[in-house]
Amino acid sequence: MFIYTKRRKKTCFHKRRSIKMSNITNHSTLGRSICIITGASKGFGRALAHKVSCWLEPGSVLLLVARSETLLQELKEELQSFTEEQQLVVHCVAVDLSKREGVNETIRVARQEAVNEIEHLLLINNAASLGDISHFGSFTNLEEVNSYLSLNISSALALTAGILQVFSCTPLMRRSVVNISSALALQPLPSWVLYCTAKAARMMMFRVLAKEQPLVKVLIYSPGPMDTDMQKDILRLTGVKHHLLPAQESADKLVKLLLDDDFVSGANLDFFDV
Amino acid sequence: MSSPARTDLGRALCIITGASRGFGRTIAREMSRLVKPGSALILTARSVDDLRTLQAELAESDAGRAGQVVQCVVADLSEMEGLQRIVTASRDAFCEDMDHVMLVNNAASLGDVSRYAKTFSDMAEVDSYLSLNVSSSLCLTARVLQAFPQRPGQQRTVVNISSLCALQPFRSWVLYCTSKAAREMMFRVLAAEEPDLRVLSYSPGPLDTAMQTAARSRTADPEIRKSFSDMFAQGQLLTCEASCAKLMKLLLEDAYTTGAHIDIYDL
Repeated sequence: MFIYTKRRKKTCFHKRRSIKMSNITNHSTLGRSICIITGASKGFGRALAHKVSCWLEPGSVLLLVARSETLLQELKEELQSFTEEQQLVVHCVAVDLSKREGVNETIRVARQEAVNEIEHLLLINNAASLGDISHFGSFTNLEEVNSYLSLNISSALALTAGILQVFSCTPLMRRSVVNISSALALQPLPSWVLYCTAKAARMMMFRVLAKEQPLVKVLIYSPGPMDTDMQKDILRLTGVKHHLLPAQESADKLVKLLLDDDFVSGANLDFFDV
Repeated sequence: MSSPARTDLGRALCIITGASRGFGRTIAREMSRLVKPGSALILTARSVDDLRTLQAELAESDAGRAGQVVQCVVADLSEMEGLQRIVTASRDAFCEDMDHVMLVNNAASLGDVSRYAKTFSDMAEVDSYLSLNVSSSLCLTARVLQAFPQRPGQQRTVVNISSLCALQPFRSWVLYCTSKAAREMMFRVLAAEEPDLRVLSYSPGPLDTAMQTAARSRTADPEIRKSFSDMFAQGQLLTCEASCAKLMKLLLEDAYTTGAHIDIYDL
């Protein structure tokens, strides 16, 4: 695909930035944050949980959201010695985001943490599914399509809206919303109508949000093909094998973008572009 | 190198959603004039009265008097049963000597433009909107393609009535922009999968319809609301007829790249 052609090496990964006149957030860390990661139990979400937690200040709260209580608890334990030392609070939110109860529960847990003196709201909309990879004509079942769009579009909008409502305008708070996207948000691929449609929809959705909310930094990030279960499914279903990135490497890039914080809100950035 | 433009759309089966009002109704009228004798139109919408009025009007036209079949299917596109009835009516109206099957995915809703994205925390509202505006066009198109597989000597055309909102974000229009962007990609995938299928995403421009009235009276964003009001006040809204004429010309010439997004202002 056309965008997997450019690779640029960056030598300096942890630039320190001078404090900007327009906001007083220190970009050398993510600040004392409430960080919500959906689809945190596996793959990219899990890698993000590891990477992001390195950059959270003491007093930060990490909400790990996914369906599997077991996997979330394992992740929490993996992070434990670090999070204890760094005084980070970790909540496992085992919910199904394809259901309104799941979205509402996530918002509820976030709200109960809003009492702390939080400087930064960081919401990473990562949870997604592949959907059936099949020719267009096979999608005759409205319930199947509705269910797919519900998880992959509606829940990201409803969760983002609910979380932003909880953390409404306080002038000192930095608010970042990330949409984990894909090259397929821009490039149609035969047999991938569900996935492409949802990613294109989300991209537009977060672009509208960026235009509406000048105080929220919206980042649309395409992580590249990574060594995750989703890629295993892709290989199994399509027989197409990509050269896969380690999820941690892509997670590193995303964290760097958030630390540097010099992306234009609503921008679409791909792992291979930055 | 192009062959002379056709003056008709063949002996066609043409399915049009949202046919009772606005742009869909105009498409129905224009199609009726441009298809050859022996054609059938399947008009679908929720409003039985408006459909029947249109059906009666078309029956009185030259084409109607010449025996053109116009079937109305009162259906809610967000119900499987509704989609099924549209396909059944289409199958019933189809004749072996038809050489063109067309589906015009026109039905859509604006969504609540009086609110910003951050207010859409009710998943059911978003689900319901996407069901009508995205899912139904995918499923209806899939069912129509299944019901009418490619045959030699027969053309199949799928039209997606799109919008500038498929390409550009507009404040307070999150649902509409999201669904149009979704459909845009959906039909690009279709075009990439089926090279024998003619797929067109047509953006009709700002039309003088009930949807436009709602847009200019309810849009939350003051700047965007003003731009709609100004267009109306300055007579810059397009008639459905003017825009539909451009769409029909595109279909007659049949020279567009399949999967393309064509805006009336590109022409």
